Amino acid sequence: MISQSDAKLLNDTAALADVRGRSLWEDARRRFFRNKAAVAGLFVLIAITLFAVFGSYFAKYEADFVDFSLMGANAYQGVPSFSSGHYFGTDIDGRDLFARTVQGTGISLLVGIVGSLVAVIVGTLYGATAGYVGGRTDGTMMRIVDILMSIPFMFVLILMLVIFGRSILMLFIGIGLISWLDMSRIARGQTLTIKNKEFVEAAVATGVSPFTIVLRHIIPNLLGIVIVYATLLVPQMIIFESFISYLGLGVQEPNTSLGALINAGANQMSNGTLWMLLYPLAFFLVTLFAFFFVGDGLRDSLDPKDR
Amino acid sequence: MYTFIAKRLAVAVPTLLILIIFSFVLMFAAPGGPFTNERPLPAAVMDNINARYGLDQPYWKQMYDYVYNVVFRFDFGPSFQYRDRTVNDVIAQGFPVTLTYGAWSALVALVVGVSLGIVAALRQNTWLDYLAVGITIGAQALPNFVMAPVLVLIFTLWLGWLPGGGWNGGQWNHVILPVIALSTSYMASIARIMRSSMLEVMNSNFIRTALAKGLPMRRVVMRHALKPALLPVISYLGPAVVGMITGSVVIDVAFSTGGIGQFFVNSAFNRDYAVIMGITILVGALTILFNLLVDVLYAWVDPKIRY
Repeated sequence: MISQSDAKLLNDTAALADVRGRSLWEDARRRFFRNKAAVAGLFVLIAITLFAVFGSYFAKYEADFVDFSLMGANAYQGVPSFSSGHYFGTDIDGRDLFARTVQGTGISLLVGIVGSLVAVIVGTLYGATAGYVGGRTDGTMMRIVDILMSIPFMFVLILMLVIFGRSILMLFIGIGLISWLDMSRIARGQTLTIKNKEFVEAAVATGVSPFTIVLRHIIPNLLGIVIVYATLLVPQMIIFESFISYLGLGVQEPNTSLGALINAGANQMSNGTLWMLLYPLAFFLVTLFAFFFVGDGLRDSLDPKDR
Repeated sequence: MYTFIAKRLAVAVPTLLILIIFSFVLMFAAPGGPFTNERPLPAAVMDNINARYGLDQPYWKQMYDYVYNVVFRFDFGPSFQYRDRTVNDVIAQGFPVTLTYGAWSALVALVVGVSLGIVAALRQNTWLDYLAVGITIGAQALPNFVMAPVLVLIFTLWLGWLPGGGWNGGQWNHVILPVIALSTSYMASIARIMRSSMLEVMNSNFIRTALAKGLPMRRVVMRHALKPALLPVISYLGPAVVGMITGSVVIDVAFSTGGIGQFFVNSAFNRDYAVIMGITILVGALTILFNLLVDVLYAWVDPKIRY
């Protein structure tokens, strides 16, 4: 029989054994949560994501419902108000701006995240391979990146949108084509320093195949810096998409994005319907700032060299 | 130095050729020709039109002719949309406008950005520094398509100081808003880069020596610190100029200034492939040229680089 005090002692020792050293990730998390701006940015981002996902349940109107009675009477009947259910007012065609903003925020976020995912997957693999293989392969692969980078992609993408038709898919392809270039350079630079470390040598000595070394040993060690740049890439991609949608060449009706909404609002500025510009603009700016703060916070916590 | 320039040219020329051929192939991948109407034209008329635009030739011959004309005669062929004009006419009309506000924007971004960066660095951790850093962070999240409507809102609608659009032969009050909208974000980036590099230079040994010798602060900054601190700014100039050329599309749309961006977007909506391709290639050539110039300038200024 174990006495009560013995059991307590046993429990305590077990608890002691549970104390582990802090990992690098643990350290990073601590540093991140100490950064107030970054944590605030994170909360704002979560709020905006929730808004984009669940906001449509709070809207009283469908995003593509046109209230014909409001058309042409926007300036005095489509004013934002709680009583009419148009919390953000209506747009030029008499559609509910709240529902449209929810939809636009969702699409902008989606574009940003897809763009940065492509960058993470393609860019990291490409850069890590180039850096690890080295030599002539590295030279050729990086020269291709150089050449692609010196092409004015905004114009080429618009050319492609014109030729293959304007659709979200085309936009994703275009963004995917561009977003990985910077990432591949960063990944390559990091790989060059990692590949001479002992653990890679050990893997080579035990006969691990080069492909497995890149996947299992190099890429996990790149993750910190890749996450940082992926986070900073999201706002860039959102700006990029909004730029094209602002020109009317990106996301097409009845879909919308923040850029398209800003353009629509800017066109109606002189008609006294400023809310059409200000609500999407506010969401756009708040999203961007939140991503910048989170990205900076992540950089400070994951990339100690840069501090 | 000459071999360095030759080497860079050896990359630049194929890049441009790839761009030309790529856009030409894209054009042929397009479904439907530029003259496909809902109501088909009589066959004889169609044949005439095709002969006029060289569309009856085999593909390789068309491509060869196009590349030959572009490279050796700087002739982009006739426009499909403006029936009586060539692409060269369109560029000749729009490019001077783009160049005018583009050059002013570059100048403003450079002068204001560099000055702001120097002041912030010399007065580090004072209210001036915080103000400068605050401005740069704010401007970072304000891309030009957001700046443009906000500026029009403030200066045209509320204050009534400046016209909200049009070009009017480049009269000064029509130039101000486009220049501010285009230059702000680059000004902010330059200020941030300048501030950090100035801080680094001011803490280095040769500056301490100069100050210890009793040289006045002004002279130390202008004669000793400025040149090395400018190096990172110079390497940023390439991407900045490219971004300004791209941004001119937004400026033309937002302010109706009538630069090449306006023709580009109009052509994009009207499927005028000839104008789109012409402008894409022109912008590509400019991009590559500017990157080359910046590289040469960098190599010339930085004594540490020897080729």
